[in-house]
Amino acid sequence: MRRALPLMAALLLLLSACSSAPRASDTVFAMDTVMSLDIWGREEDLQAAEDLIRSLDASLSATAEGSDIYNLNASSAWDVSPDTARLISRALEICALTGGALDVTVYPAVLAWGFTIGDYRVPDKPELEKIAETVDYSAVELDGVSVKLPEGVMLDLGAVAKGWTGDRCAELLRSRGVESALLNLGGNVHALGSKPDGSPWRVGVRDPFGESYLLALEVRDCAVVTSGGYERYFEEGGVTYHHILDPDTCAPARSGLASVTVVGPEGVLCDGLSTALFVMGLDRAAALWRECEGFECVFVTDGGEVYITSGLASGATLADGYEDIELQVISRD
Amino acid sequence: MWTRLRGDGMELRRLIRDSVLAAAALAIFVVELHLPDLVPIPGVKLGLANIVTLITLYALSPWDALAVLTVRVLLGALFSGNMMALLYSAAGGLLAFFVMAALRPFTSTRQLWAVSALAAIAHNLGQIAAAILVTSTPSLLVYLPVLAVSGVITGLFTGFAAQFALPRIKKVLKDGK
Amino acid sequence: MIKSRTFVYIISAIFLLSLALAAYLLLRPAPGRVAEIRSDGVLIRSVDLDLVRKPERLTVTSEWGENVVLIEPGRICVESADCPDGVCVASGWLDGAAPIVCLPHRLVITLTGGGSDVDAVTG
Repeated sequence: MRRALPLMAALLLLLSACSSAPRASDTVFAMDTVMSLDIWGREEDLQAAEDLIRSLDASLSATAEGSDIYNLNASSAWDVSPDTARLISRALEICALTGGALDVTVYPAVLAWGFTIGDYRVPDKPELEKIAETVDYSAVELDGVSVKLPEGVMLDLGAVAKGWTGDRCAELLRSRGVESALLNLGGNVHALGSKPDGSPWRVGVRDPFGESYLLALEVRDCAVVTSGGYERYFEEGGVTYHHILDPDTCAPARSGLASVTVVGPEGVLCDGLSTALFVMGLDRAAALWRECEGFECVFVTDGGEVYITSGLASGATLADGYEDIELQVISRD
Repeated sequence: MWTRLRGDGMELRRLIRDSVLAAAALAIFVVELHLPDLVPIPGVKLGLANIVTLITLYALSPWDALAVLTVRVLLGALFSGNMMALLYSAAGGLLAFFVMAALRPFTSTRQLWAVSALAAIAHNLGQIAAAILVTSTPSLLVYLPVLAVSGVITGLFTGFAAQFALPRIKKVLKDGK
Repeated sequence: MIKSRTFVYIISAIFLLSLALAAYLLLRPAPGRVAEIRSDGVLIRSVDLDLVRKPERLTVTSEWGENVVLIEPGRICVESADCPDGVCVASGWLDGAAPIVCLPHRLVITLTGGGSDVDAVTG
């Protein structure tokens, strides 16, 4: 027996040596989705990020009683927290940038379709036309921290909240000295730094028609956000209605796109744009991309064609089983 | 072996004796089937029926033990309605038998615990080898250390049980002559 | 005659080595998030657990019997089975490197890293 002890000690030493880099991971349920955090840092860093996510969820939710947004919608004038005001300001800029293809006041339509609680119904045309009159992001008055909404107008930051959360978490983790982290906020991927070995993160873009991903992008310090009709939808009378509503018609956007993926350093911009570009359709989206800096995109059309903007083309590889797809590159000129 | 019946009654006596032992092993096996699983790990069980194999091996001969084992494994699969298990328990049982039979000339009746532990490890080794071949899943190998650990524990348990029972049963078997 | 002490050494060595090895093998994280369901060695289904959106029941029928595999977002288990021992159901959710095995029905569910060479998937 005594001879076995050193052997045992040696084994235990060997086992403990296998876990070198400090790494902490956890999953959080927030903003109606599962978020997985994988950081190369200490447990305290992970905990701080989780706390931040929960507090953002509590202040940005349109449905949680007592949140900034809930109070604002209930009273049509409200002083929000400085953080929420910053987000509203940035969101309104993105709405303007996209010419209203993203509209943070489309919430009454979302409610009418039942997408908030899954109580789905198809509103008739007069009802939608009536709702469309209230959808206008430019009617939101933001002055410092005080926000005013005209009668009937409601605000919902759902289209940008996860992107914002990714930005804020990345900012927090960076300030705590974390150099490597991968945050998957319900399909909004936010990559901090690069992998611990220095290589870029590989993020897959989901095949909107299947369960797998169709291509992989190599990114560092980037958010990768996809919007697609497959994420939330219902069927009625043989027609599929998805959750991305066109602010003009207040009905599901039918633009010929199955999904839009936006990649860039600013998560909130990527998040808002992925929705807006989906609504705009390939041609208008490509035109907007040519005018702007700061993001790149992957478009998958309803017909299964894949378009990719030139800035991403070199770092993209097609996944196994998708080698037959021809990537069509959109360039600036 | 047991099929050659001769007029002197010796072979008939042996047939009856081995049959009784096989029946006892089978009964123990069936009872154990109905006990709840100790841990939900495939292949982990007490293996109480091996007590009978072990006792037969030391009280009588390897041939008798092999006969008892074979009958018990075949009928056990039939009784449990789990013909798939026949393969696993045959592979495990035979490997365990070879270990026990090989150790018998070098061990005393006071070392049954050790023989049993090693046999149990061999049994689990044979079982997992069969499972890997049958399911063609090499990753089942990760269970090998677990099954070796459980083999030591269950083997010691059944080994000591056999060791304490052996003198009494030996007496009964001898008296029968 | 072999000395009893020799047996103690041999058995203790096997026991301790296996114990350490078992702890290492079973407690280490799973190599990936792709669950492979095999019946009689044949790959029935390979599913990336991170991409599962809706819970799904997959009934695997073989000549030996039936296992109902429950696939949920992020996890997988055998929900029910008509096998004699029920070990597959008692194993619970598949985690780590130890596969779920139903020996009577020759069913194995393993987690592998294969199929997914990306760190995350959007959408």
